[in-house]
Amino acid sequence: MDLLLPIAQSTTKVTDTGISDAGKAIALGVGAGLGSIGAGIGIGIIFGSEIQAVARQPEMKDELQAIRWLGFALTEAVAFYTFIFGLIAFFL
Amino acid sequence: MNAEGNGADIAAERGGVEVEGESGGLSRKAKIWLALGIYFGIFILLLLIFGNDGKNDAFKPQNEFKLDPWIEIKIGGIDFSINKAVFYLLLACILTIGAMTWIAKRMTEKPNRIQTAVEAAYDLTKNNITGGNLDDETATRWFPFLATLFFFIWFSNMIGFIPLPTNTENTVNIFGVAVPSFAIYAATANLSIPLALTLVVWISYHVEGIRAKGLIGYLRSWLPPGLEDMNPIGKAFIFGIEAISQFARLISLSVRLFANILAGHLLLLFMGGGLAVLLGLAALGALTFPLAFFFFVLEVGLIATLQAFIFSTLTAIYIGGAVSESH
Repeated sequence: MDLLLPIAQSTTKVTDTGISDAGKAIALGVGAGLGSIGAGIGIGIIFGSEIQAVARQPEMKDELQAIRWLGFALTEAVAFYTFIFGLIAFFL
Repeated sequence: MNAEGNGADIAAERGGVEVEGESGGLSRKAKIWLALGIYFGIFILLLLIFGNDGKNDAFKPQNEFKLDPWIEIKIGGIDFSINKAVFYLLLACILTIGAMTWIAKRMTEKPNRIQTAVEAAYDLTKNNITGGNLDDETATRWFPFLATLFFFIWFSNMIGFIPLPTNTENTVNIFGVAVPSFAIYAATANLSIPLALTLVVWISYHVEGIRAKGLIGYLRSWLPPGLEDMNPIGKAFIFGIEAISQFARLISLSVRLFANILAGHLLLLFMGGGLAVLLGLAALGALTFPLAFFFFVLEVGLIATLQAFIFSTLTAIYIGGAVSESH
């Protein structure tokens, strides 16, 4: 923060709270975005493997369905963890 | 249009189908581009008409989740006030108990639609959640708890998507009476309730594990198999990691439910007009409102049920892991 302050003051009149707000907004955006990338890849892998498994053994479909939703929800939650921690950083 | 011209049109169309794969004058690609063009065209048109009102500082989206006390109760410095979350919690409890007993009393030989749906849900909790993860004896003992967890969380999530007059911060004046405006809120969108449920689960599966194996035996069962000939320092290190993972379950189970429901409500809030109000861009509402419908269907159709399912399934897995012989 102290490193950025002289640069910001030299160019425009940005207050200290303005920089801190900007930092929080960047933290929320970058954090939630990176978290979503990871969860997106994970969900893709889960559904891809399930499709492959069902294509090989169609009789396993019902058993795989429960595991698929379990894996989907566990992976999807990771994206929300980053989102919630970003919101905590932004609002608190 | 005369018959000859009509015939020529059809012939031309047929020719088009054969040559370019077109139907109804426009190809599918052109239709998609047209729809997207109209979608963004409306946005740009509204942007030009209404313009930018500047950032709106009066609207605070976090107030949507603020809990104003309705009836203030304070005992020894601890806040026991009745507020929106308590109201939703009570509503979910009443619905869970009421709906289930109502269905149970009206059981008929030939099931009607509601009974069929409830029987499907009962089957899910009985065979899939409980039966699939626990052995028979433990399943019989823990089925009521797991089924109650599932139905309570499900009702709690679902009533979160019905607009109810609970927003006491902004009231609407109808014939001189200040009626609270409609708002959506879920008891599970507040960390306290998932955390309380998680604590019940967390303590009960440890107690069940200790009852099944004894304290030392239970703690020893945390170690993964295949470490019998490891030195004690390594064992202690792995035990430390396993102990941390037990406490991490406390966070992951509660925050998963809380974050999913909160994020869903935030998405609905921002897409349903919150973003347009916040940024002072009225035209943005036209762009985000169709997305709000999409997210509403996703939340109601998938996430609400899925989170209830996941919570009770993980509870069953934790209990099963605590009582089973091998780790």
